[in-house]
Amino acid sequence: MSPVQMTMKERVLCVLKYLFLALCVCLALFPILWVIMSSFKTNAEILSNGMALPQNFSFVGYRDALTISPILSYFGHSVIITVISTALNVLLLAMASYVFARCRFRGRDALYFLLSLAMVIPMTALLHPVYSVVQTLGLYDTKAGLILVYTALNLPMSLLILRGTFASIPKALEEAAYVDGAGFVRTFFQIMMPCAKGGLTSAAVLAFLQSWNEFTFALVLTSGEEARTLPLSLSYFTAQFSFNYTALFAAVTIAVIPSIVIFAVFQEQVVSSLTAGSVKE
Amino acid sequence: MKIKKGWIPVFLLPAVVLFLLIYAVPLLMVFGTSLFDYRLTGTGMTFIGLDNYIRLFQDPDFFQALTNTVIWILIQCIVHVALGTFLALILYKKPRGWKFVRTAYMIPNIISNAAMGMIFLNIFNPQYGVINSLLKAIGLEHLTHNWLMDSTTAFPSVTMVWVLFAGYTTTLVLAQALSIDESVLEAAHVDGATPFQTDLFVVLPLLKKIIGTTMVMAATYMLQMFDLIYITTNGGPGKATTNLPLLLYGVYKGENNYGYANTIGVVIVVIGVVAMTVINKAMKVNEEDY
Repeated sequence: MSPVQMTMKERVLCVLKYLFLALCVCLALFPILWVIMSSFKTNAEILSNGMALPQNFSFVGYRDALTISPILSYFGHSVIITVISTALNVLLLAMASYVFARCRFRGRDALYFLLSLAMVIPMTALLHPVYSVVQTLGLYDTKAGLILVYTALNLPMSLLILRGTFASIPKALEEAAYVDGAGFVRTFFQIMMPCAKGGLTSAAVLAFLQSWNEFTFALVLTSGEEARTLPLSLSYFTAQFSFNYTALFAAVTIAVIPSIVIFAVFQEQVVSSLTAGSVKE
Repeated sequence: MKIKKGWIPVFLLPAVVLFLLIYAVPLLMVFGTSLFDYRLTGTGMTFIGLDNYIRLFQDPDFFQALTNTVIWILIQCIVHVALGTFLALILYKKPRGWKFVRTAYMIPNIISNAAMGMIFLNIFNPQYGVINSLLKAIGLEHLTHNWLMDSTTAFPSVTMVWVLFAGYTTTLVLAQALSIDESVLEAAHVDGATPFQTDLFVVLPLLKKIIGTTMVMAATYMLQMFDLIYITTNGGPGKATTNLPLLLYGVYKGENNYGYANTIGVVIVVIGVVAMTVINKAMKVNEEDY
């Protein structure tokens, strides 16, 4: 049916539909845009009218945010912890997923079921015991402690994505490798890993976002300036920022930009990794 | 390929160790220590049987937190999932700009909860926040509130921080809807179904399973919700916005009573199991094929 032939009722519905879509977009983008806009205003401008546009773009807020707080070093901690835990998670779970997808051994299905239970355990129920484990290992208030926990937090999702990925790779590829005399480990790293690139990226992007954004365990497992991460810095410095709103908005902007950039670059991967496993084609 | 066998345990070991350290052992510890008097100060652990559970049932804070948690789970499973599904039902017909809408709507779900919390702390700020500024601008000054600190508005205000941002739900339901065979929709059209009837009687039933999955996700998300509340209201005023994870954190860090904190942990785990079973039953998520 061409738009010309639309009845009155259909035309109204069409307008309502686009209004609703516009509303959803505004709802989603407004909070972030408001924060970014406010980060360029002066304190006085923010207090006199919260909705007005900045009169002249000033970067004072960013300078203040960097000097008042160790946000830069927290940013560094976040980068180190997120990159290492993401890499570890993807590597270790790829190894396990490959074995689950390809090898037959006794208890395989039971073990896979057990590991996938991790998906449904509400982790905030385990705050104190996880702290105890990390403390016992001597990793309290260290980056290694958070790396350990973050590597594990993404275990169930990566397992789900990567087992599916390896199961979908044709068996002929690795059989050819074995015929050529390649061993198990070499076949895995040189043949299978490159074939699983799509799944590996999907798992990595999700793990990266989760680790980069994680707040609760960072709060419980760190105490000093050694390992605190960026999300923590935001709430931690409310007191310092309490009269410097410009700096506060600048700090929030600094914290959200990496997530948005990663999402913009890997958007298709995020969508496909989210849908992997839960959507049935 | 007999060379394989020896490598199997080596490849599995790291994942199994991670699982044991961060999931299995802590889970057993939560159940085990809930039977002990176990505090920071004190002489180690004393077995007290079900005393922690008895305290739980006499603790008004627990019932407040339990009620808040259950209400939030219900709101999330119904309002949040319905909103996300409704948007997906519009987008799967690929109106102009559908990809842009999907992307934009995902952004609040992509940035950290700490940032979202800080953003909304400022949006609800009584002095310069967006809500009060808007109300003043349109002459409704008498409606301005200290939204997050006023006991009458704190609960609905905090709910607004997450309930409208259903990007994950939309993305998942949309992906499933896009995978529906064109011929099914064609057949409905030929049979004289209006677009609305097609959505309601053909498309929605095909999406039941994925909607069930997003409900499970919504329920587990709300059951574990901590950071957004901690940053915006910290559970207050009073206990108006305290849920079970916040109560647990307060007992653990404020009271240093690990045994009782872990008893609350047990309740969270049990609610998780119950919620999942109920949703799976209702939506037949595990039923193979339609």
